[in-house]
Amino acid sequence: MNKLIIKVQRHLNKLRWGVLSLVFSMLILLPFLHLYQTFEAAHAYDLLSPSEKSISDTMEWLSKPFVKDPEVDLNNLKGTTWSGTLFGLKLSDPLALVGQISAGKTVYMPFLITALIPIILSIIFGRFFCGWICPATLIYELNDNLATWLRKAGIPVGKKKLDFRLKYLVLLMGIIISAATGMIAFAAVYPPALIGREIYYAIALSGFGSGMVFFLLTLLFDLMVTRRGFCRYVCPGGALYSLLGHFRLFRIKRDVTLCNDCAKCNVVCQFGLDPLRDDFTQECNNCTACIAVCPTDALSFTVSIKDIPNQGAGHLGHEYKRLHNIQDDQGPK
Amino acid sequence: MMKRRNFLQKTIFGIGVLGFSSLPFGLSRLLYPKANAALSNYSTLPGALADPKAFIEACIGCGLCGEICPPKCILFHKNDGGAESNTPYIHPAVKACTLCGYCMEVCPTEALTVTPIREVDMGVAQIDRAACYPWVDKGICGACVAVCPLGDKAIVYDFGNFYRPVVKDGCVGCGQCVEVCPEPSLPIRIVQGTDSKVARHGVGLNQQYKWQHDDRRLKY
Repeated sequence: MNKLIIKVQRHLNKLRWGVLSLVFSMLILLPFLHLYQTFEAAHAYDLLSPSEKSISDTMEWLSKPFVKDPEVDLNNLKGTTWSGTLFGLKLSDPLALVGQISAGKTVYMPFLITALIPIILSIIFGRFFCGWICPATLIYELNDNLATWLRKAGIPVGKKKLDFRLKYLVLLMGIIISAATGMIAFAAVYPPALIGREIYYAIALSGFGSGMVFFLLTLLFDLMVTRRGFCRYVCPGGALYSLLGHFRLFRIKRDVTLCNDCAKCNVVCQFGLDPLRDDFTQECNNCTACIAVCPTDALSFTVSIKDIPNQGAGHLGHEYKRLHNIQDDQGPK
Repeated sequence: MMKRRNFLQKTIFGIGVLGFSSLPFGLSRLLYPKANAALSNYSTLPGALADPKAFIEACIGCGLCGEICPPKCILFHKNDGGAESNTPYIHPAVKACTLCGYCMEVCPTEALTVTPIREVDMGVAQIDRAACYPWVDKGICGACVAVCPLGDKAIVYDFGNFYRPVVKDGCVGCGQCVEVCPEPSLPIRIVQGTDSKVARHGVGLNQQYKWQHDDRRLKY
């Protein structure tokens, strides 16, 4: 039974890609559905331009099996990952709550309740939003694949190491700037908020806004300075989720008796962590790429409130064998 | 001497780190330059906090109000506005609010609160009697009175001067009259602020305000 659970965890990464793609495609679909709603509300199908007619027809075909009255029923699903409504359930990003409290110096209870579910989930699962839901993560991971191809083609890609504590300072500076200027400074620098908003602008309000320029700059930062640099070193939301997930329940644990020190997990970890020597800390975004890539199923999720200390070399690896004077053709004792 | 140099180095390093960590916020400010908002006749959203500063403090810029608006009248400061960046506004000359109230219901924050239609305060319509067709005896119109969603509580014909519109106390500033007005110079407009009630029956306002004659040709 236990083995089966570990086997299933290998496929979590595929599930994660499915969730990320679903969130991203919804962000693209919802503005089109809103356009369709506006056409329906105007009761003027004949006055639409040909392109608008095609949008209206496609969206009618897509939504017909699910809704009776598109003008009202489609309002059940609105918004982005920054803030949205799902069938009457309002959800907001905890960073939006932090920004609102620091800018307005007041706590608005209905808004606090909308951020409560993400906060509780982050306390249990840690930085899962970054790996599993954030629409920017999809683009950043594709950007990282691009960096791999560039490296293969001989074009140098940034590999600098900064201090991961920088992002906590960014969070702090954002709170200070919000409090000083009276505007929510995070809204303009937080990639998930930017992406959702800019896709809506591009589709419904004819054209991207300035936020897209900022997002492209972060992509360049990732390519030229360091791998996944924005998420690891700058993102204030990532900092907040890391802090919330410091005492998370689920952590990835390495089974030393199965580990053969192949270090594939270290290569695949985009956050530059060290799964090979149990160094996950609160920075891990639960992307499960290391679990998927492990050839011996040594890595798996376990329930633990504390970080797992370094367990040393894997028992199937060369280093362990050298230390314990085991011959290569024999197995571990 | 050594100690002092160490201290100086650490201070400079600290300032550098602080500067780097506030760099993204400064960069985002550069991307949203402050526009000349006084020239453009934008109005607030229904149910919005009366104080524009408090509205910016409360609005998280999620865009839910715009995504739910049936006439798609809610626009955003998407590449201008300074501190107001990504906050919503309504440009009544392009598309006016229909007072459906969806945006007030969907807003997660205090920025928009559910308000009864007749207590909404988006401003007050103001008619320039030196330009309005019936007021200058250039013909009959009455489009603004016909389209008003609040009926005779908000805008009526002047007593004894048929087709000459007069704004009443019930006006909430939705801007339907501005959208429908056929006169190119838009003699009717939404005025906000405390002095709006005084200025309601102003004459010859063309001299006071710079009117945007190409409002109707604006596409969003």
